[in-house]
Amino acid sequence: MTLEGQIRHFAELTPRKTAVACCGRTLTYAELWQEIQQEAARLQLREGEPHAFLTTQDTGFVVTYCGIHLCGGVAVPLEASMPAERQAQIRKEIQAAVGLQASSDILFTTGTTGTSKGVMVSQKAWTANAENLIDRLGFTSDLLFITAGPLNHLGCLSKIYPTLMSGATLYIMENLKDLPAFFEVFRLPYARFATFLVPSSIRMLLQVARKELRAVAPKVDFIETGAAAISQHDMELLCQTLPHSRLYNTYASTETGIICSYEYSRYGCIPGLLGKPMKHSQVRIGEGGRVICSGRTIMSGYVNAPELTAMILRGGEVYTSDIGSIDEKDGMLRLQGRQDDVINVGGYKVNPSEVEDAAVSLDAIADCICVPATHIVVGTVAKLLYVPKAGATVKPRDIVSHLRGRLEEYKIPLLYEEVGDIRRTYNGKPDRKAYTKETP
Amino acid sequence: MKEHITELLSKALPMVDLDSQFLFSELDSLGVTTILMLLSEEYGIELEAKDATPKNLKTIDSIVRMVEEKLKGQ
Repeated sequence: MTLEGQIRHFAELTPRKTAVACCGRTLTYAELWQEIQQEAARLQLREGEPHAFLTTQDTGFVVTYCGIHLCGGVAVPLEASMPAERQAQIRKEIQAAVGLQASSDILFTTGTTGTSKGVMVSQKAWTANAENLIDRLGFTSDLLFITAGPLNHLGCLSKIYPTLMSGATLYIMENLKDLPAFFEVFRLPYARFATFLVPSSIRMLLQVARKELRAVAPKVDFIETGAAAISQHDMELLCQTLPHSRLYNTYASTETGIICSYEYSRYGCIPGLLGKPMKHSQVRIGEGGRVICSGRTIMSGYVNAPELTAMILRGGEVYTSDIGSIDEKDGMLRLQGRQDDVINVGGYKVNPSEVEDAAVSLDAIADCICVPATHIVVGTVAKLLYVPKAGATVKPRDIVSHLRGRLEEYKIPLLYEEVGDIRRTYNGKPDRKAYTKETP
Repeated sequence: MKEHITELLSKALPMVDLDSQFLFSELDSLGVTTILMLLSEEYGIELEAKDATPKNLKTIDSIVRMVEEKLKGQ
């Protein structure tokens, strides 16, 4: 069973049913299947040939993505805000890649290793991810699933599969910026609605749109969250606001695929608790509490990085950077933190060294450090502490402009502070721990 | 008021060009929520999801107008 095969199946079974919709454009299953075939014919990729494309938040993304698979190519969706130089680098990198499997993907992420690299996800892994989600969350054909985040990231991309493989409807939004438009979707003639929201989006809705959430509560079948920690307070408030909805906290990463999910609306709001492994997944805890995952959903490896692959993927198991434990009684995974310096900003993984390297290339900056900080809405964000060169004046906007051409938008720190010096460890590295203690 | 709001927002959202005539298109969901929350708190007004329209958040002047109208309506 493949995504494209299921779309074809529903194009025959329910041709007039809406498959994908976004602001003003809808495609029925019959139309979607026709456009996918046309796209495959246009692309004419060889078996296993990679094809990079910029991610758009619309029906066109699904057409291109599936069209690449249909002709046996490898889909490489890139961040829409990715600087041109980085895009060119990736295109070169993937053309030189060896051993790519037909109809699979390469997703670029910072996740497990803290450095940006291409993760190869096979078609078999995607099908297992979809079956995990269908089985645990309950995707059915009468559902309208709203995705409001970047489609090149696992969190949203993984929802295209169970939605369209169940014959349901996918509604694509760019983000949650236009909140009235988000709630307008609930007026569409569907009985059941569901969505995936990162914890910062849930906090945002609870803070400025609780009234609207209450109004649509009877229609919300389930909401899945993941990619970052959700607080107990937000879980409890969401349970109160949506008393009849199923609310899940999921453990997943690009490297591991979708592993566990915990229904906190049913079993209790416990921070870090992520439930039992899903049907195609296994989890164990290694040395120092490291979370190790295996099963059909895991990645095939990193592109052009055999040494890195051997470090993370050992004996068919993915060694994550997460620290956790498994309850002996109920077998549920509980996450406690990470063992590296990566900053999780609303589900996006930001490597502080990459930000510092880009910032210090600005002539007027003598030194800097990127640390986690707390923001009124998002919770954890990246903050840049910087030391201007003698006699230089640097404003946060100057730094932002400089970083825009060098980093993807989500990697640019949200907060800035000018300081006199940057504390370093005895061997000259930035003393991240000292700053993390001050700004949890 | 305009000066104060500009100062408040520029600190919270240094990535955003507050002089833009197309401010709403520059904002992401975090930016929109931050504006609603900060101004609600600062001026003791109730700004909700329905206020986060492209029209209300088009420019810094339209944001100021939105706050003034909320204050009048109290």
